[in-house]
Amino acid sequence: MENKVNEKIFKPKIVGFLCNWCSYTGADLAGTSRMKYDESIRVVRVMCSGRVDPTFVLKAFKEGADGVLICGCHPRDCHYHEGNYKCLRRYHLLKKYIIQMGIEPDRLRLEWISASEGAEFAKLVNEFTQKIAELGPSKVKQNIETFS
Amino acid sequence: MKELRIGVYVCHCGTNIAAMVDVEKLAKELSEVKNVIVARDYKYMCSDPGQDLIIKDIQEHKLNRIVVAACSPRMHEVTFRKALEKAGLNPYYLEMANIREQCSWVHTNRNEATIKAKDLILAAIKRVKWHEPLDKRSVPINEATLIIGGGISGISAALELANAGKKVYLVEKSNKLGGIMNQIDLTFPFLNSARQILDRKLSEVVNHPNIEIFLNTEIGEIFGYIGNFETQINGNKIVFGNIIVATGLKPFDASRIPEYGYGKLPDVITSLEFENMLKSGDIKTKSGKQPQSIAIIHCVGSRNEKYNVYCSRVCCLTALKYINQINSVLPETSIFDIYADMRTFGKYCEEFYSSTSRKNVTFLVFDQKNELPKIREASSSDKCNLIINFREKLSGEIIEVPADMVILMVGMEAHEAAKEVAHKVGVSMCGNNFYIERHPKLDPVATTTDGVYVVGTCQAPKDIPDSISQAKAAAARILATIEAKTVDVEVTTAFINEDLCCGCQTCIKVCPYSAISFDAVKKVSIVNEVLCKGCGTCAAACPTGAAKAKHFTDVQILSQIEGLFSYA
Repeated sequence: MENKVNEKIFKPKIVGFLCNWCSYTGADLAGTSRMKYDESIRVVRVMCSGRVDPTFVLKAFKEGADGVLICGCHPRDCHYHEGNYKCLRRYHLLKKYIIQMGIEPDRLRLEWISASEGAEFAKLVNEFTQKIAELGPSKVKQNIETFS
Repeated sequence: MKELRIGVYVCHCGTNIAAMVDVEKLAKELSEVKNVIVARDYKYMCSDPGQDLIIKDIQEHKLNRIVVAACSPRMHEVTFRKALEKAGLNPYYLEMANIREQCSWVHTNRNEATIKAKDLILAAIKRVKWHEPLDKRSVPINEATLIIGGGISGISAALELANAGKKVYLVEKSNKLGGIMNQIDLTFPFLNSARQILDRKLSEVVNHPNIEIFLNTEIGEIFGYIGNFETQINGNKIVFGNIIVATGLKPFDASRIPEYGYGKLPDVITSLEFENMLKSGDIKTKSGKQPQSIAIIHCVGSRNEKYNVYCSRVCCLTALKYINQINSVLPETSIFDIYADMRTFGKYCEEFYSSTSRKNVTFLVFDQKNELPKIREASSSDKCNLIINFREKLSGEIIEVPADMVILMVGMEAHEAAKEVAHKVGVSMCGNNFYIERHPKLDPVATTTDGVYVVGTCQAPKDIPDSISQAKAAAARILATIEAKTVDVEVTTAFINEDLCCGCQTCIKVCPYSAISFDAVKKVSIVNEVLCKGCGTCAAACPTGAAKAKHFTDVQILSQIEGLFSYA
């Protein structure tokens, strides 16, 4: 603290991939209910969490995201029946993959948020932001720039 | 690619956005971004003058991409797409940045919120560059309607449509039509017979040449989209253009509240069980005696954090109806009405309350939030069957009320089949399993799935006239779409680039709608656009990039991500 007075407080930047039917609607509900959460998250809307191509997640890290959050409908509630299960399978593989790339696995998180869970979404964003703040800035972008 | 000419419009939404996001500064800064020809801020972009501003700019500045930073696209994307169309631009050249629901309304630091809003808008600018014009697909509308649920809501909608000469398939899970209304004796506030009202409707429905009724039938998988749905009923294919969901309610299970002893104390009964007694004209305790005193407890399972927080809307008035009925059948019986708040909204309902309160009845108030009344068996010296013990809120005193019979005014919950039906027709549910309407104020009949309407108590607790109003509104909406002969359908389906497809058929395995098939001659996958609902799972799984989710393409989303990090 004493020797880092001038260092800027780390503001994490998180990319959220939210499915249109449950999670994006839930995030909108947090807004219409005027719930407050951290400014860290920037949401990219997809129709289904099954649309979240692993490339999207890696791209977000490459561009400088400190964390990536994927939200879909709860199991058995997917608007497209089973897209969230596909997402879940990819997520587990992707977790293993990012570790190999030197990204802390905790920087990637998948959660189920329903259209009525505005409060849960707000809480999730705050929790995840806190986690990322503890991890500190992601080094991916910096490393890419150094080694390329 | 043609020269990019982007227009960026930042909405104040009154002060909804402007209070937390520096919209003027954003508009100024964004006007300097590459390819942005004009950037403006305006009080209400969605208003007519706001839309006219966009339309005028498109024509004057020859804009070919539009970014609107305002509310959620779930709110006004359609509005702005129409504006683009009016200006002669393909509606899919629009991208929205959600700086209200997901920014100004949820943040407290104006500087940070403005930075975030800028990121979101820059992302939209990057994304919109890659937008492709999509052609509207107009399809003819099948005039038939599928109605799921044969209660008063389903029946009312069916008659409205059938009387206009349109075919109706009315599917009911149980073995008879009429739903919960079958169990009701008289209706409030005029004490008309529910049976008489229902019977008249039922005979119309049963004999109507345009209504085909399927009893003991559960709905199967539904395919297609507005104008052209199809499903199988008892092995036969039926096709229809619209769907009305009217799955109704489930009475609250009173045994969940331990204080009331329902299920253990024989003379504690639910309101629906009491309706049955009223219908048979036989109000008797379990031991066959005429009750000397009857207590009515309100808000059973309603307006309580532990059970359901919402009000079930009909219980108060139903209780008042009981007071009237008991009074006329058993004038000597004393009645205790134990309520939390008396809610008697609706036409002639307050009048009904005031006339009922002049009858022979004692009103008592209990503390619904903190302390539910406790019902116990009376001892032999008490000269009654049950004792209700509670703190009477107005006097503040703990009192005991004697009763030979206690009627629990059970609230409404969504039908247990609601969830299953929601999946089949593609509507969302709110936390308590009622269906979500398209807009809580402006569109309480339609859903976010085109061609699917929700009516009656499956959408929220309501009484008979409200259910019928909603049912007839849905029918009128459907008649209007049928009148238009054709309907524009979602064009954001999947597409396979045959040149890139390697024939691995991964997309076929992941498609939840079996919308992709394999062309054995060309050795490529083919999308059936009628069946595809555009989830994009195939695009995420395709190893070569041949499968493309229109309007959610890889390049669009990747550019959007890039845009999020293009500033600071």
